[in-house]
Amino acid sequence: MQPSRTRTRGLLRRVTLPDSAHPLFRPPFRNYQFDSAYDEMFEAPGIPRPHYRALFQTLLDLPSEELRKSQQAAELSFLHQGITFTVYGNSEGTERVFPNDLLPRIIPHAEWRKIESGLTQRIAALNLFLEDIYHNGRILADGIVPKELVYTCRHFRREMRGLNVPRGIYVSICGTDLVRLPDGNFAVLEDNLRVPSGVSYMLANRKVLKKVFPTLFRDYGVCPVDHYAQALLATLRALTPPNFYGRHEPTVVLLTPGVFNSAYFEHTFLAQQMGIELVEGRDLLVHDNVVYMRTTAGLRRVDVIYRRVDDDFLDPLCFQRDSSLGVPGLFNAYRTGNVSLANAIGTGIADDKAVYAYVPAIIRYYLGEDPILANVPTYLLTDRSQQNYVLDHLDELVVKAVGESGGYGMLIGPQSTAEQREDFRRRIQAEPRNYIAQPTLSLSRAPCFLDGEAQARHVDLRPYILYGENVTLVPGGLTRVALRRGSLVVNSSQGGGSKDTWVLRA
Amino acid sequence: MIYSVLHTTTFTYQPAVRESVMEVRLQPRSDGPQHCLTFELDVTPAANIMQYRDFMGNTVHHFDIAGKHSEVKVTARSSVEVQSAPPPNSADAGSWSDLDRAISSVSGSDDYWEMLLPSQFAKSTSCLEAFAKDLRCERRDTPLQLLTELNQSIYESFAYVPNSTNVDSPIDDALHSRQGVCQDFAHIMIALVRPLRIPCCYVSGYMFHRDAAEEKKDRSLEGASHAWIEALIPNLGWIAFDPTNNLIGADRHIRVALGRDYADVPPTRGVHKGEAQSALSVSVTVSPSDAPPPVQLPPTLVIQSRPTTARTPRIDHEQQQQQQ
Repeated sequence: MQPSRTRTRGLLRRVTLPDSAHPLFRPPFRNYQFDSAYDEMFEAPGIPRPHYRALFQTLLDLPSEELRKSQQAAELSFLHQGITFTVYGNSEGTERVFPNDLLPRIIPHAEWRKIESGLTQRIAALNLFLEDIYHNGRILADGIVPKELVYTCRHFRREMRGLNVPRGIYVSICGTDLVRLPDGNFAVLEDNLRVPSGVSYMLANRKVLKKVFPTLFRDYGVCPVDHYAQALLATLRALTPPNFYGRHEPTVVLLTPGVFNSAYFEHTFLAQQMGIELVEGRDLLVHDNVVYMRTTAGLRRVDVIYRRVDDDFLDPLCFQRDSSLGVPGLFNAYRTGNVSLANAIGTGIADDKAVYAYVPAIIRYYLGEDPILANVPTYLLTDRSQQNYVLDHLDELVVKAVGESGGYGMLIGPQSTAEQREDFRRRIQAEPRNYIAQPTLSLSRAPCFLDGEAQARHVDLRPYILYGENVTLVPGGLTRVALRRGSLVVNSSQGGGSKDTWVLRA
Repeated sequence: MIYSVLHTTTFTYQPAVRESVMEVRLQPRSDGPQHCLTFELDVTPAANIMQYRDFMGNTVHHFDIAGKHSEVKVTARSSVEVQSAPPPNSADAGSWSDLDRAISSVSGSDDYWEMLLPSQFAKSTSCLEAFAKDLRCERRDTPLQLLTELNQSIYESFAYVPNSTNVDSPIDDALHSRQGVCQDFAHIMIALVRPLRIPCCYVSGYMFHRDAAEEKKDRSLEGASHAWIEALIPNLGWIAFDPTNNLIGADRHIRVALGRDYADVPPTRGVHKGEAQSALSVSVTVSPSDAPPPVQLPPTLVIQSRPTTARTPRIDHEQQQQQQ
């Protein structure tokens, strides 16, 4: 089904001799290119996959001027809605309009079903893992996951030992990054179990695309995602704290680090969609182990906190001393069972990039099942022989810092300079526990509307999983796009964009 | 032997502050050779005192004072029975291979792991490595012999100078100046022995000081809380080493809290709202319980601090820059 390497090369040669009769070479696909990566739209050059046929035809039929106008309308809509993202490490601390691509990414129903069951399995296993390592540590005693890996993890919270969380759920909101490999299968690139962001862009993309392609959208039979905020609220309400008696409904708030956080737009958006208060640390106080919110009508008790603040900053009494974002005494209120936090404290241990390598074993250990979604092969640098291999192949591999996210602290071997590789070699040798390496993956590519034509760009997929009374996945997710030609980094913080993701009803 | 301990901590603020939230680790432990018979904690202004046990099994009391206040006074009174133990007998102490067996045979319990890894204050630095080299700090003789020697070497290499370092000073400060307080010596000893794979923990507590007339006077300050270490010696269990006073075993030591280092077990830890000039004064008296009831002595430790400068928006920005 998928274009072989030789066929791809043949096509590239043919491009230089345009065949205007072939639909692929008509605008906007005149310069569309293939390589060894899986192409989301085409099963072979010129032949779209069945679920992409209608979109393909629409694009061929639309005058390119029309497409350009649609793109401008979409961009303007993002600007007017204030959908922004702040890029760090830039002296100006720039807040940018989140780049959106006009062409939807389409996922057939059967593929989604597999993703859904794979992610449900994964979140169940990871929650059991967290409960275990913060209680009896069976998996450590049985030698499935090395103890040292857990105890040396920066995100392991000793304070959580022996503490019971509502329903035993540590991770209620999870965003898992999937990539599609050249063989067409999805694999998990990383789990984000702390404070995953991006879901507001999924909702915004949908809103805009519905306006831009109303007929196409209706005819395609796309699963809705608009109920995400309600599903999130239901999930949060399911986490009522142990000491919640009798009151009618739990008071849920969203705790944000503040306006300078890169995802502040999302915090305001979600709070508003759920109809709950958006608070900063200074808006809350703890008195006699109970959390209150300062309101214009006095103090009001808070039961569930959807916190978008990292563990380190959550409670200056308990964690980072100089945090001005947290609430002193919050952890004691949490320990007593007077307030719930989503996600729980200490979930970062399970999305540590070195623990990631053990997730298939974790799934087998707790569920007795084989993982439905595969992992990407991962080299652990604490292992001598693996480290030697990695140091010898730095120009081919991707090296990541285990505790980082957002595409920071990363080396992409094939695109690196000798100097960068030398720098990472030193860093790995100094702190092998801090890094892992993976083969440079050929992420699948999807057409994007850039410079007035369709161009292939690498994409990934981040579906959002909610775990309250049960596991819920809103059908869709955030398809992130590496907008720069040839780039493999899709993180928004590294200048990536996104596109709407259409999961088909049938 | 039964001891009575009176530990008073007073914070004063100028101008008054509000919303103080505080955690204290002041209740002596009841395990090993000691038993806490009574414990009383008073806080003024009045507050509801709640408690929990932390992951090391230490009892933590905590409270908050919501209204305006210019002073917080925490008074802890306890009586503790400490059984005197004979000094560890080197004939019974195991070898290095016994130690390795003890560490690896344990399943389920992870305490050793924590006490083998570097921690915030007890981690290796180039200064420490040089010091370790001078002391020939390596796996030689038996674990007990080596620790005994290290305990004495630290005692002899450093001058005990009250207030020469702060509670949060890195060990390099003491290593450079060759002076420090009990805390520094404990951290240095922990950082020296953990890389040899000897489980080692930090102990915060009190010590009963004998009269100055005795031939060997204790160096550590009477009237203050004290810190030392415990290391796992094969066949003997956890043995206390006090490098400040060159003592082994601990029949005059009263254990309050165990941790990886000071960061886990400060006697008091608090946060408040409002910028103020603050002062902290501490006084501790330890007396045999048949002596007259302890009276409060003038404070031995007074720390003045200027108001914390208002956080620049820049720091706030940095803290807000987390994401996933």
